[in-house]
Amino acid sequence: MITADAVTTYIRQVFPDAAVTVIDKTGTQDHLIVRVTSAGFAEKNLLDRHRMVYQALAAPMKDGRIHALEITATTPDEVK
Amino acid sequence: MADPIEEEIQREIKANKILIYGKGTKAMPMCGFTRETMHFFEKYGYPYELIDVLSQPAKREALTRLTNWPTLPKVFIDGQFYGDTDILDPMEAKGEVVPLLKKAFDAS
Repeated sequence: MITADAVTTYIRQVFPDAAVTVIDKTGTQDHLIVRVTSAGFAEKNLLDRHRMVYQALAAPMKDGRIHALEITATTPDEVK
Repeated sequence: MADPIEEEIQREIKANKILIYGKGTKAMPMCGFTRETMHFFEKYGYPYELIDVLSQPAKREALTRLTNWPTLPKVFIDGQFYGDTDILDPMEAKGEVVPLLKKAFDAS
């Protein structure tokens, strides 16, 4: 279990400018959809963007607070 | 001396145009994301292989190191790593999947 605020804090350690949306997919607060918008993704391909988000959330994933994670990673100007 | 597990992975990646390393088998996928990835490829009608790494922890670890990608499933198309449906869905939305699969299967 992890709160949206905790997820946001982890992400902002890597992407200080990030806008973060956390959706609890199953109501158990450990199957999450995490949408990150940050200029830090500019010029990065999809795989590397997701790797960066995984690195930011490595701790809660390793200790099981996050069990499943779906990621979207966009730059501010890519957001429609 | 190359690691036998990594050699096995390289063989598997070359032997299968679409290869999913995941949890469970085609008959009994054991994870929503693995099932979702299977359905993703079934839509296109190309053959794919699912290799269960729940039962092969050493291979699972080697794959994580090889791809610098912490989760399962892990998808390889034509020998290239493509993460999972988090990557393939946006690629599909941009129309990049069909040409990729065509190239993979027509080249044989």
